Amino acid sequence: MSALEPTTPSAPQRARWAWRPYALTLPALLLLVTVIGYPLLTIVLRSLSEPQWGLQNYAWFFGAPVNLTVLQRTFTISAWVTVVCVLCAYPYAYLMTAVGPRVRLILVLCVLIPFWVSGVVRTLSWVILLQDSGVINSLLRSAGFDGVRLIRTQTGVVIGMAQVLLPFMILPLYSVMKGIDLRLVQAARSLGARPSRAFFTVYLPLSLPGVYAGAIIVFILALGFYITPALLGGPRSTMLSTLVQTQVLSLLQWGRGGAMGVVLLVATFVLLALAAPVMRSRHREAGRR
Amino acid sequence: MLKSRYGIGAVLALGVLTGAAFAQDKPVAGEVKEGSLKGKTLTFVSYGGIYQDGQVAALKEFVDKSGVKLLNDGPTEIAKLQAQVESGNVTWDVVDTDDLPPYVYCGKLFQKLDLTKLDVSKIPEGQVGECSVPAMNYGVVLMYNKEKYKDNPPKSWADFFDTQKFPGVRGVDGSGSPTGGLLEQAFKYAGGDPKAMTVADIDKAIDVVRKLGPDTIFWKTGAESQQLAESGEADMLMMWTGRAMTAVKNGAKYAPAWQDWLVVMDQMTIPVGVKDTDAAYALLNAYLGKNAQEILTEKTSYTPINSEAQPKVDASVSAFLTNTPERQKQGYKQNFKFWVPNFAVAQEKWAALMAGN
Repeated sequence: MSALEPTTPSAPQRARWAWRPYALTLPALLLLVTVIGYPLLTIVLRSLSEPQWGLQNYAWFFGAPVNLTVLQRTFTISAWVTVVCVLCAYPYAYLMTAVGPRVRLILVLCVLIPFWVSGVVRTLSWVILLQDSGVINSLLRSAGFDGVRLIRTQTGVVIGMAQVLLPFMILPLYSVMKGIDLRLVQAARSLGARPSRAFFTVYLPLSLPGVYAGAIIVFILALGFYITPALLGGPRSTMLSTLVQTQVLSLLQWGRGGAMGVVLLVATFVLLALAAPVMRSRHREAGRR
Repeated sequence: MLKSRYGIGAVLALGVLTGAAFAQDKPVAGEVKEGSLKGKTLTFVSYGGIYQDGQVAALKEFVDKSGVKLLNDGPTEIAKLQAQVESGNVTWDVVDTDDLPPYVYCGKLFQKLDLTKLDVSKIPEGQVGECSVPAMNYGVVLMYNKEKYKDNPPKSWADFFDTQKFPGVRGVDGSGSPTGGLLEQAFKYAGGDPKAMTVADIDKAIDVVRKLGPDTIFWKTGAESQQLAESGEADMLMMWTGRAMTAVKNGAKYAPAWQDWLVVMDQMTIPVGVKDTDAAYALLNAYLGKNAQEILTEKTSYTPINSEAQPKVDASVSAFLTNTPERQKQGYKQNFKFWVPNFAVAQEKWAALMAGN
């Protein structure tokens, strides 16, 4: 018997303490149930019960072409934002793992400082940059180019949203990349792999869990965006949250607003369920290698 | 003889006394009894910013004299008010709203007003509703870029909708609800008669706005409309007079086309189920007073709703006040009778336009 044995609990002991981690999650669970679970339940109930019990609010949602256009647009814009975030965040997060601690600190600050500034302020500064008489267009014009329409377009909305959401992509990516043993890449290189090959067959698959985690967070947050599309977008970049706002706050149609929320939630779940097998199989493959 | 004289005197005195008592019961706009609301609290809800600051300044005399504690909340959201009324816990005592809600939700969310408790004699004609008195007047006015249109400026909403004759980017109020007056002008441009508008005509009117083209800017806030004028991003803008005034003051090279400017107002209301209705009436009555309205205009540049008010404002402000005889003649009043029952339909169709459909 080793001296360490008494510190490892026996089976019955382990069972006795098994509830402990759950107890520690109690505050979080309580918060989730009260501030998310209960309102969510109310939303679902109201979507089915107002003005009377039935599916009228859902029938209305799928009967009005504008709702479907906007729903589809919401997913398209969110997908674009996710793509832009991945492309911008990947090299950035990689750089964070490659540099010394002091530069890394600066890089982390560069991500976090805009994160601490209110989203409204950041979006308004994008208005100044993107508007027709704004900084970007003045620069373009003074360089002899034609100005481009950025504000009140989907491009403008995607740019603004990607900037707001970038930290949510960089941070999970960094935490995964930091755990990748760079000697594996060196090993690949020493066995004769070209740098690109070493990256695509060794590094990229190992970093994919970070990409997936970040992409899911960014995509889901993007679906519910309200302020940025409202300030940077025009009618053709209206997202579902704006329609919900109109129904609830201007028309007092809480049932319809609720139905829209439920549709968005369900559509998100369906999409994630479809994406999950892809992510899982890739993940396993990467693990096997 | 003597007796009868005394008798007459007594009758006269009695008459004067009852007259005085009667006069005391009949409210006078702007007046409140000293210390009458001591220990009471009223919550006043409006849209914040300089507007609500100005309203609070206008109510200062009332607060000081009555001894009431005035709390401020906002911005006004009908959905929030509905939630309060439904739950039976109404904490908003006096609410400033847009022009239509008190008509749409009269008796449901807003109390029918007892006009014996208010002095509405100085309010411009036709502005007292069953559930509301006006909070102030303003206008929606067509502003155009002087440098763009030079010698051939647009003169009316018809020119605003005519992108052939007057090319250029248009800016339209996209802050939420449709502006009834604008839709009526659009319908008129499409060849219809706004006085005989039907629900189906709302589509025709909205189509006119849609045809302004993909460049059209739907501004979300008054500040944005002002910024659009100051940066020169739009060539013709539909603007609230207060914002138009500030933009011009800040150097925007824009001028108003006053013909058929759209008359709009904010409303003062008392929600259903407030705890102390009489205190709320006292606030409303004080707000309608000459002094209060002068202060409101001096602080906010909105047009006062007491016809005796003589606010001291400079030329840039008075240029955009809407209560002069000339402006009153040019103003266009929306067809309330049509919009109140069709508010939801119009809102829905307008929302579709706002969503790019």
